[in-house]
Amino acid sequence: MEGSILIVDDDPIVVKSCEYVLKPEGYEVKGVTKVKEAMGVLVNQNFDLIITDLKMPEIDGVKFISWLKEKNIPSGIIVMTGYPSQESIKDTLELGIVDYVTKPFSPSFLLDVVAKGIKFMMTRTTLLKGEVDASKSKAEELKKIIQTNKNKPGALIPILQKTQELIGYLPASVQRIIAKELRIPVSEVHAVVSFYSFFKMKPRGKHSIRLCLGTACYVKQATEILEKLKSHLKIEADGITEDRKFSLETVRCLGACGLAPVVVVDGDTYGAVDPVKADELLVNYE
Amino acid sequence: MKTYRSNIMLCGGTGCITTGSLKVRDALIAELEKRGLSDEVSVTLTGCNGYCAQGPLIEVHPEGIFYQKLTVADVPQVVEEHFIKGRPVEKLMYKDPALKSSVPAMKDIPFFSFQVLRALRNKGLIDPEKIDEYIARDGYMAAAKALTEMKSEDIISVMKDSGLRGRGGAGFSTGLKWEFCAKITGDVKYILCNGDEGDPGAFMDRAVMESDPHVVIEGMIIAGKAIGANKGYIYVRCEYPLAVKRLQKAIEQAKEYGLLGENILNSGYSLDLEVYLGAGAFVCGEETALMRSLEGKRGMPIPRPPFPVQKGLWGKPSVLNNVETFANVPQIILRGADWFKELGTEKSTGTKVFALSGSITNVGLIEIAMGIPLRTIVYDIGGGLPKGKKLKAVQLGGPSGGCVPAHLIDTPVTYEDIVKTGAIVGSGGMIVIDDSNCMVNVAKFFLEFTTEESCGKCTPCRVGTKVLKDLLYEITEGRGKEGDIELLLDLAADIGRSSLCGLGQTAPNPLITTIRYFRNEYEEHIHDKWCQTGVCKTLCTFVINKEKCKGCTLCAKKCPAKAISGEKKEPHSVDQSLCLKCRTCYEVCKFDAVSICPGKKIDKEEAAVCSEVVV
Repeated sequence: MEGSILIVDDDPIVVKSCEYVLKPEGYEVKGVTKVKEAMGVLVNQNFDLIITDLKMPEIDGVKFISWLKEKNIPSGIIVMTGYPSQESIKDTLELGIVDYVTKPFSPSFLLDVVAKGIKFMMTRTTLLKGEVDASKSKAEELKKIIQTNKNKPGALIPILQKTQELIGYLPASVQRIIAKELRIPVSEVHAVVSFYSFFKMKPRGKHSIRLCLGTACYVKQATEILEKLKSHLKIEADGITEDRKFSLETVRCLGACGLAPVVVVDGDTYGAVDPVKADELLVNYE
Repeated sequence: MKTYRSNIMLCGGTGCITTGSLKVRDALIAELEKRGLSDEVSVTLTGCNGYCAQGPLIEVHPEGIFYQKLTVADVPQVVEEHFIKGRPVEKLMYKDPALKSSVPAMKDIPFFSFQVLRALRNKGLIDPEKIDEYIARDGYMAAAKALTEMKSEDIISVMKDSGLRGRGGAGFSTGLKWEFCAKITGDVKYILCNGDEGDPGAFMDRAVMESDPHVVIEGMIIAGKAIGANKGYIYVRCEYPLAVKRLQKAIEQAKEYGLLGENILNSGYSLDLEVYLGAGAFVCGEETALMRSLEGKRGMPIPRPPFPVQKGLWGKPSVLNNVETFANVPQIILRGADWFKELGTEKSTGTKVFALSGSITNVGLIEIAMGIPLRTIVYDIGGGLPKGKKLKAVQLGGPSGGCVPAHLIDTPVTYEDIVKTGAIVGSGGMIVIDDSNCMVNVAKFFLEFTTEESCGKCTPCRVGTKVLKDLLYEITEGRGKEGDIELLLDLAADIGRSSLCGLGQTAPNPLITTIRYFRNEYEEHIHDKWCQTGVCKTLCTFVINKEKCKGCTLCAKKCPAKAISGEKKEPHSVDQSLCLKCRTCYEVCKFDAVSICPGKKIDKEEAAVCSEVVV
């Protein structure tokens, strides 16, 4: 397993036993017994996960987590505590943690929580990175789109359409920018984005596959094509493959009923697709 | 305009572009150049010709010769034979299936000969991106007449007299709608065009917008004058980029020619038009929802009254008509109401465009006089079903419509006769369903659609359609119970009565009509756990009849799961544990030896008995 973990607990036995369980699994583990020490380590080093106790002398866990958030340290946080009171859990949940474990715990339970936490952080960091990169480089153009359209009546939908054309999808960060510029609540922007099927909040793959499920395609076994593509790509409808190469969407009628059933990959339309051989269409795009 | 000895009209509709018409165009231009014919023969990319099944296709003027299924490889031969030697190329012509002879002229091909072109009168004849070509076909004559010679009341009285009914689905009188709006006083009014063709299986409006965008603009000018609107929007689906592009171009050209903008043709009337892109929501086909969407909001309908003609877009009086409705307007104004009424029946006048698709030989776009029987459309224009398929039903009106069963195939296509069957004329999607389709599944498909597209505002639609869908899901998965059909009908009636807008009110229609005409299929699914068509996978078992099987091994070869085994010339059998129920064996068997039995697990002996019972 890949991933780096920082363990913070005032009880050296807990730190040692965590190291003992996690290291053989291939994780990079560092253990400290004082929050101060942890803060020092974090200045120079990043971790995917930080597992911390709550009840500690000098600085306690809740304060430590607040500090982490203040410093914008991007690590995922897992809380472990022997006193799982509603209060302390609630406080930390509000601060934004990934998960928590109650002491005592079994090695397998710890491994499970850690594996899930690492996976969660991995997908989140790639997503966040993509979001920030995309929106940063295009921020200028986005501003321009908003400025030229903002005074027209009913401007929101055209702005969203043009923005999606620019960025490829409409992540939350972009929706917030639009709301701010138009001086309307974010909820109003999100309400429109989530209502119309054209607007996407997830990025699309390098190649986007659109499968028509209009009536004409449906009566010609388009659902079989969907099943075939789903199992071939190992994703659900509206999903994206792990390597981000393909995304699969279903659409309501492309208006090319004469060619039913129809699959569109990027700009190329394929008509009269044979469900059994549907995966062969993708060979050219692999 | 430059004149040519011959004009090649190449179809540039979406269907033909997909099958390669742009490549054919490039090859034609290059070949004509090579042979030094560029000054004699022109190549024009037209809008959708309608005969999508045979694309890419061209019609050569002035002879009117029609070539189909062209490939780049055919181009040198066409140029050499047709344009140099003057000998039409027979092998690329339409073949009459019965006589096996070639039909050279487009007008003699049955697909075209039964049609009457009014809304689509310019399809395939003009370059949609050139306003001059539209004007050469009497374009904007009607607008000029309406603006300079007619008063608002005159226009409305002609429209009322013509009997034109809204082509978007509901069939409300267009003239009456305009009159309501014209009577309301207000300084700001809007004229709106609905090009949000959301019905799956319908592409009529797309074809009109792509092949003749100016006719929509002209219709809107006339309507705008009648109601007193100076601002208009054309709401188009964003899935139709070509239509958007052509409309925008057409608006630009019309402005340049002084046919849009301030003081059109010195008449004192001004109209500004804009294209607005929808963002994909079926409910936006509903008037009030579309107006909310134009305002940049979620496209949710609002209760009526007040009606949009009183309080529509931004609270101002507005008239919304469908693309095809507007396309009919100029000719009515120009030729009069009596001309329009010549075709059709008393209550359903004129023509209607349909998008014919599904299990049919000639898929495409057609325009027919109202009142002709469905049979003519399916068998004469449509050329019947593909070989070996039997007609089961014709689905009209999309998710709001219903299925007309095969035994009612002689029903005339009019608003009033179609309604009697439980379906609606709708916007014009016409899908032919053959006997390999399970009607319970068809109903489920439409309810899945409406459940997903319900905007969620009113409870009967939001929750009701989901309950219907879930019940149908249970039935197709073999968990149907006694009383389910009654429950479905009961709920359907409630949803129809209590929903806020047309989407919910008509959502149960596909269900109600399939139960009315195919109740036996529902009963078999529920009681016998048997889907005779083999579509519902848990409710069928594929069994080979030992008596009939000749051991030709075809099914074993075609089976994707290798579930069929047997020696050559010996009866084969299906290993049920491997069978994917893909129907391949059933389709390929030439001896009718594969039968579809109920879906419970059966052993070999039972299978033998079962296959005999079925056969």
